[in-house]
Amino acid sequence: MSRNKILFGIGVLAFVSVIVTVRLGGFLVDNEYRQPDRQVAAEEALGETELTPRQQGIADEQAADEAEARALPYEEAEYRTVPFVGSRVTVWVLAQLHLLFAAFVLAVPMFAFIIEFIGYVKKEERYDKLAYEFTKLLSVSFSMTATFGAFLTFGLIILYPKFTNYLMHIFSPTFLPYVLLFFLEALFLYSYYYGWGKFGPKVHLFLGFMLNVVGTAIMFIANAWLTFMMSPGKREDLDGDGVPDFVSAVSESGALLSLRDAFFNFTWMPINIHRIIANVAFGGSIAAAYAAFRYLQAKTDEEKAHFDWMGYIGNFVAIIAFLPLPFAGYYLASEIYAFSQTLGIQMMGGTFSWLFVIQAAVIGNLFLGANYYLWLGMGRIEGTAHFQKFIKYLLIAIALCFAVWATPRYAIASVSEIAAMGGSSHPQLSYLGQMSAKNTAVNILILSTYMSFLLYRRTGKQSTHPQRQLLSRAQVIVFAATAALVIFYGIYGYYVDAATRIRFAIPQVYSVLAAMAVITIIDLPLYRNARQPGETQWGKMPAISQYALIFIALSFTWLMGLMGYVRSGLRQEWHVYGVVLDTSPDAYTPTLGFATQVVSVTVLIFFGLIGVVFWLSSLSGKKAYEPKTAAELEGGQAA
Amino acid sequence: MKLSLPMPVKMVGVVLGTTAFYMYLGQIVPQKEVPPPPPVLISEDMTTEELIEVGLELANGKGICFSCHNDVRAPGFDGIGSRAGTRIEGMSDVEYLAQSLYDPDAFLVPGFAQGMQKMNEPPISFTDDEMRAVIVWLQSQGGTPTVTLDTDLGY
Repeated sequence: MSRNKILFGIGVLAFVSVIVTVRLGGFLVDNEYRQPDRQVAAEEALGETELTPRQQGIADEQAADEAEARALPYEEAEYRTVPFVGSRVTVWVLAQLHLLFAAFVLAVPMFAFIIEFIGYVKKEERYDKLAYEFTKLLSVSFSMTATFGAFLTFGLIILYPKFTNYLMHIFSPTFLPYVLLFFLEALFLYSYYYGWGKFGPKVHLFLGFMLNVVGTAIMFIANAWLTFMMSPGKREDLDGDGVPDFVSAVSESGALLSLRDAFFNFTWMPINIHRIIANVAFGGSIAAAYAAFRYLQAKTDEEKAHFDWMGYIGNFVAIIAFLPLPFAGYYLASEIYAFSQTLGIQMMGGTFSWLFVIQAAVIGNLFLGANYYLWLGMGRIEGTAHFQKFIKYLLIAIALCFAVWATPRYAIASVSEIAAMGGSSHPQLSYLGQMSAKNTAVNILILSTYMSFLLYRRTGKQSTHPQRQLLSRAQVIVFAATAALVIFYGIYGYYVDAATRIRFAIPQVYSVLAAMAVITIIDLPLYRNARQPGETQWGKMPAISQYALIFIALSFTWLMGLMGYVRSGLRQEWHVYGVVLDTSPDAYTPTLGFATQVVSVTVLIFFGLIGVVFWLSSLSGKKAYEPKTAAELEGGQAA
Repeated sequence: MKLSLPMPVKMVGVVLGTTAFYMYLGQIVPQKEVPPPPPVLISEDMTTEELIEVGLELANGKGICFSCHNDVRAPGFDGIGSRAGTRIEGMSDVEYLAQSLYDPDAFLVPGFAQGMQKMNEPPISFTDDEMRAVIVWLQSQGGTPTVTLDTDLGY
């Protein structure tokens, strides 16, 4: 049976169903009991209409309901509930979905603008085409962001009316600028997207730049609202004793004392920095997943080459942003500690400490996935044998670091295992669960991934620089010296007190950042005019590499959900930390198992929706609909 | 025979498989649901033993003292009742313990870093009576409990 006939049959069936339903309803109403017409007429003539027992009953019920409603005094609800899932989970999922789309919408213009700018400077059209391909994803995602933003706002007003009212009391002056900026963002985004090729390059680049400025400003305002909930004030040395005192932005009863202090609160800037970097990493990974989706669908070599390149760029953006992210995370965590030791302790040593073991596992997977994709990518370049021999050493280093990072201080063990170990921590392995080992592992992990990038960048190239041997050796020395320094501090950390050990993280972080900067500075002139005997064959990647990109995007998304939970969950039973208590039935901190279930469901919903975004974005590249010709129709019937 | 699944099926498999794996990680770590700290009632007619009990409850719950005071991040509590009077010359155990709670950075035990919050400030926000209960419990750790609800702590 042809598809048209099936569709026609479904239409007829739907029409018949509607008719039958209407007729059945009419039949039931028509056959309801009624008084005989003559009796009604007689009663009306006498002026005394007597109600049937049923009518009397209905009238009494209505009167009782009305009287009850009138007697009720107006009371402002503090909380409302949602059946089955609860208020907190509802707001949690809506907030996370809003945030994921918002992060994507803020990040993509950043690298689309940079890629367009590179294309403008290099006068290469392929960059412009790539930037446009990224931008295509924006318009539907922008609508999704706004939709979930509205859902979240209504969710807060309905489910947490008193608390939402309190936030409005504090931040109402920021709402109008927020809305105006949102309006401007829509203006710049749509003019940037629809104006592609319609404006001069400088005007178009200006639109892209403004889109980024406005988008970042919007995020900064929203960040003030959420960081206020965590750190409602600032720290300032009031008594001159060298120790910062807590200066609350609100009074003990919660009344606003300083909007400035509430807005520019203690964790506002660390969150801004962390979010910008994380958004770019996340946005790059989602754009790479889109490219993977299109690569796997591609029919021609040209399409494959284009989407292979797009996937590579998306992943490159994601990993380049991801490398400094642990440092931004460290800065944020240290600022949380500086704001409140209690918060910091809850985060790393209390209720949430096991969450960071899960985080380590996810980040380890991200590093492995990213490196795997890079190593597979060497296959598209001729003459890779020289570099491929290093991969096994990098893999060993990454796997070892991953294992150390994921080793918990205290093991989950049965009674007999605890007895055999002589305690809840393993006699040897528990040393790897300490901060010294973990900091060392993550720094070496970052350094190794950076080396993977460097190898990939060099694949198929031969430097023509006159001092190439010297410069290459200098790079190796910097790399080896940094690794040795990081390991030295890691080991030395076991022999000093806690206060000194904590401070060792700083030289470890700075030495890795400095090493990456120095090696990059050396690498740029070293390979500027390099010979390239081997050609890069875009579109020659195995399918598994594209699934690796999807795996990376999923891991990023899941990690964002997990870290979003810890940032918000840290407040525990407080709506605003130390100021407004959560007195709802959801004020408890759930188990990690439950939290990861909510995160997983949210991620699946997001991926379902981003799948729709991918599909809608891919429609623009499809051929326009053309009705079948008479000859084709006849051919179809004959068949 | 090589089994080749269609691309959308593989893609959904990667998404579901990865999510399920991460969710599984969340299930195998220790599970603990943390309720908000219950309110602690202190009344004038409480005996010293009852106050010690309340002090321990506060230290364990609202004060989250044991998260740090384990001899690793901060000094442990064993024997603090007998040590407190000897830490700073000229300062009694009650004065020292009160200072440690109201102004913890005023004196640091050698080998440990500053950073403990003032316990009368948010989010802990111990009341003066709760401070007295905690101090009397601390005194009971190797010392002699002397503090009552009438004791002037000087803050």
